[in-house]
Amino acid sequence: MLMTAHPGITLLIGISGLLALAAAFWPQKGLLARIARGRLNTQRVLLEDALKFFFDCEYKNISCRLNSIAGSLHISADSATRLLSRLRSMGLIQLQEDSFRLTDAGRSYALRIIRVHRIWERYLADETSIGQMEWHGEADLKEHHLSLEAADQLAAQMGNPVFDPHGDPIPSARGELPAYTGQPLSALKEGDIARIIHIEDEPRAIYAQIVALGLYPGMQVYVMDITEERIQFAANGEECVLAPFFAANITVEKLSAREPIQQKAELLSSLKAGESATIKGLSANCRGQQRRRLMDLGIVPGAQITASFRSASGDPVAYRVLGTTIAIRKSQADNIFIERSDAKP
Amino acid sequence: MEQQHDKNSENILSLANNLRWDLGVNLHDAVVESIYEDASRIARKTVSSKGNKAAYNLERKIDQLVTSRWLGFPIMLLMLALVFWLTIAGANVPSGLLAALLLDTVHPALKSFAAAAGLPWWLDGVLIDGAYLAMAWVVAVMLPPMAIFFPLFTLLEDLGYLPRVAFNMDSLYRKAGAHGKQALTMSMGFGCNAAGVIAARVIDSPRERLIAIITNNFSLCNGRWPTQILIATIFIGGAAPAHWAGLVSAGAVVGIAVLGIGFSLAVSWALSRSVLKGEASAFSLELPPYRPPRIWQTLYTSLIDRTIFVLWRAIVFAIPAGVVIWLVANVHIGGQSLAEYFIRWADPIALLFGLNGVIFLAYIIAIPANEIVIPTVLMLTVVSAGLSGVGAGAGVMFELDSIGATEEVLRAGGWTLLTGVNLMLFSLLHNPCSTTIYTIYKETNSLKWTLVSTFLPIVLGLAICFFVTQLWLLTA
Amino acid sequence: MRDTHPCENCPVHHTENLIRLGIAMDRVDYVVALAGNPNTGKSTVFNNLTGLRQHTGNWPGKTVVRAEGGFSFNDKRYKVVDLPGTYSLLSTSTDEEVARDFILFGRPDVTVIVVDATRLERNLNLALQILEITDRAVLCLNLIDEARRHEIEVDERALSRELGIPVVPAEARQKIGMEQLIAKIEEVASGKYICRPHRVRNRSARLNHAIEQLSKRLSEQFPGLPNLNWVALRLLEGDQRIIDAVQSGELGKLGAGLLAAPTR
Repeated sequence: MLMTAHPGITLLIGISGLLALAAAFWPQKGLLARIARGRLNTQRVLLEDALKFFFDCEYKNISCRLNSIAGSLHISADSATRLLSRLRSMGLIQLQEDSFRLTDAGRSYALRIIRVHRIWERYLADETSIGQMEWHGEADLKEHHLSLEAADQLAAQMGNPVFDPHGDPIPSARGELPAYTGQPLSALKEGDIARIIHIEDEPRAIYAQIVALGLYPGMQVYVMDITEERIQFAANGEECVLAPFFAANITVEKLSAREPIQQKAELLSSLKAGESATIKGLSANCRGQQRRRLMDLGIVPGAQITASFRSASGDPVAYRVLGTTIAIRKSQADNIFIERSDAKP
Repeated sequence: MEQQHDKNSENILSLANNLRWDLGVNLHDAVVESIYEDASRIARKTVSSKGNKAAYNLERKIDQLVTSRWLGFPIMLLMLALVFWLTIAGANVPSGLLAALLLDTVHPALKSFAAAAGLPWWLDGVLIDGAYLAMAWVVAVMLPPMAIFFPLFTLLEDLGYLPRVAFNMDSLYRKAGAHGKQALTMSMGFGCNAAGVIAARVIDSPRERLIAIITNNFSLCNGRWPTQILIATIFIGGAAPAHWAGLVSAGAVVGIAVLGIGFSLAVSWALSRSVLKGEASAFSLELPPYRPPRIWQTLYTSLIDRTIFVLWRAIVFAIPAGVVIWLVANVHIGGQSLAEYFIRWADPIALLFGLNGVIFLAYIIAIPANEIVIPTVLMLTVVSAGLSGVGAGAGVMFELDSIGATEEVLRAGGWTLLTGVNLMLFSLLHNPCSTTIYTIYKETNSLKWTLVSTFLPIVLGLAICFFVTQLWLLTA
Repeated sequence: MRDTHPCENCPVHHTENLIRLGIAMDRVDYVVALAGNPNTGKSTVFNNLTGLRQHTGNWPGKTVVRAEGGFSFNDKRYKVVDLPGTYSLLSTSTDEEVARDFILFGRPDVTVIVVDATRLERNLNLALQILEITDRAVLCLNLIDEARRHEIEVDERALSRELGIPVVPAEARQKIGMEQLIAKIEEVASGKYICRPHRVRNRSARLNHAIEQLSKRLSEQFPGLPNLNWVALRLLEGDQRIIDAVQSGELGKLGAGLLAAPTR
């Protein structure tokens, strides 16, 4: 049999071929991925980001100045000036009493981008298992090249969501958006009960801290103590402390006359085989199809649940609920709140 | 009128949207809860349970046994082994009978009928030696094992055991970013990859379902077991001392199957961290009560739903492939058949991967079913090596009754232990058969994922064969 | 008036919709849909009714394709459509959409809801959802023997009173209760039995108010719609199929068929 080359040489060629393939196709860091990203029109991206920023100011009734826009978009003041004059020449913004306002065209453009952004975040949260720290960044890229039609289609598949996973309303396809109602957590007074409706996902470092505390939209907060330096509150019964600077990134809606949740609920995963409990609720961290599926299987507040047996490898665990046996992974059982039934003999 | 309607509709939808913003994020929960509340109220009024749990306790005993830490996995392996043993042992006789009928009786009869009718030799070759033979071969080797494997599998499913398997295996698959039910599609793949791909429907999440579909091909299917056994017996068993030969070759085959499981987990892991990014999402599975299966109905329906369905697809693909197989061996250009041209051209490349041109060509033209790979390899070897006295002529697939005779043909074709090892690897890691490819396309409805499922294993297989070969040569 | 059949002589209403949903409609007097949770023996009931051998395994999501069959009883021909087994009609999976669309747009003359007597509470979740959409249904209380073995008693009369539809206890594997089921199907189909289906009312005041507001507008736009509240609720949940039906006016046609005297 004829062997043309020494196996050592062939091996080297083979390995380098493999490395070359990897370098080309590696997700995100590969050559192809870089080229695809590089093709994004940076000028348009900047323009759209600026519009979004203006809209946000308007929505929250903050006045919008040149340096704030430069800071938010991470560009120099010069570039910001150029960007603004470009926006003005396109008829998207106008100067009104030394602050910039969106024109109607500019507003509807911004709303389109925001709609795509929030739908994509919703999609990532509900339909994929991409971590919540990555939603915003991914949506920031996606908003510039997902067409409005594609976003509409995606929304239709998900049951036309009206809120993004951070609790922000998604503009409707006709460009409607409800009035801004929230106030920052830092503005509450001692003894106030409120519900978190939104957690600002920028700056990233602050968002990461808030997420790390386990806070999410829909949680009930009860302010225990508030001073210049810190705000102490119970979120769904669990005590948290935040600096006001951080608390300002959490938007809440005041609730009137409700008993605060005092105790932190136990988790379904803490139930041992043979123990029973009543389901109290599902954490907001359990989203989309997953949440719907669990509810369809009978995991709803008020239902009785008994841990039945573990799988051969320990996780998932089978639970008995409404007369059926349902297997759930520990990570899901961690999202289900329970109250133990009185111990039966 | 029309405009009025449109305007009204728009107003209704716009009102709905505004109301939704008012109602907040937890609307769906509230709706579901209100339904359950009513259901629970009605149930309280109408259902009375005396609390005798004897019947339920038996069920729990069984559950605790089949999911127990020490016995859970052994029971599962035992069940699987039993199913395979029944399939392989039970299929032998009917397969032999079908082969005797379709290959040894009908085929010669057709040939003599064609000769009597004065059919031109090429038409006779294309139709009878090509199309008919490929179809008959597929039916003879595929039908009996499937007709046994699928009903057995369906029985386990109806009994309620399979959901428990998914339950036990979930933690392993979760670590690979996949779903526990993939254990079932994988087991189904041991019978037939096309059926395994269809079975992936039971997985809800599209991402995890896609992972299950793409990796199903790493389950060594029914059509590949005989190839593995034959080659392992000849080359690996042959290299071991005589009294160990049986054990070593059996170990090699099991090793390949286990390697396949390893690959399916590894590829699932890699996919779930790259193109199909995301954590293993959700696993909520109802473990249905054990109910005695209805045997006759199961036999009937699994035969109709699965066996005939898959077999039909295989036959549809086998017929044109049979024609191609005959043609490449019989169309001559400048004194050489197309097959010989290709084999001579491909040989140096194939040798880099420790294979040979015959194997390359066989895997290309025998794409409809893995079952006809070995007959095609034998036929092509005879053609290309110019052996005489073996086989049934150019373009006519054949198999030899004795392993010794098969070995002689292969050794004459230049096969070594290295070729054997690589063929076993390549048989595990190559493109799915065309029936499976078509099924993947039907199930995913996406050309992209069909192409990925087709080329991913082949690239992987070639890379593995390449490195095995070169390292082997380096150390030899 | 809500429950009167559009006309006694015409075979099935909404034939065109049924044909569009892929149902062959020649020589059929009534269409019967079969719905239920997975693992309730729904396909056994189907096989008993039609004499076919349809296999559906122990998995939700297995039969995305509908099975059809038929039977005749007292000179009437019935077409039976086996819907995919689902836990609910509120999620957005394909099988649930198939089942939901069929019950809503196909407007079967009778929907047979097969429930597992040993797990009634869980099964009622789906039953109540179906009763929100249609008011012609029969509950088949299956696996009654297994329930007896577990010493679970179900008071069928009370259940029938609560749900407002006939309840037939059955053990489909032993072919028990099938004649009675067919008899009840006929009674509901022919309008002899007038269902007064249970409707969920215990929602929060805020949600009920929202539903009322929407229903009012819907009834102006689509007079005669039998399940206004349900449609309103689906709009509040952003169900695209219903949004499309509002936009295209398809909903109006569903309502129009139920009006005794067409206005146009």
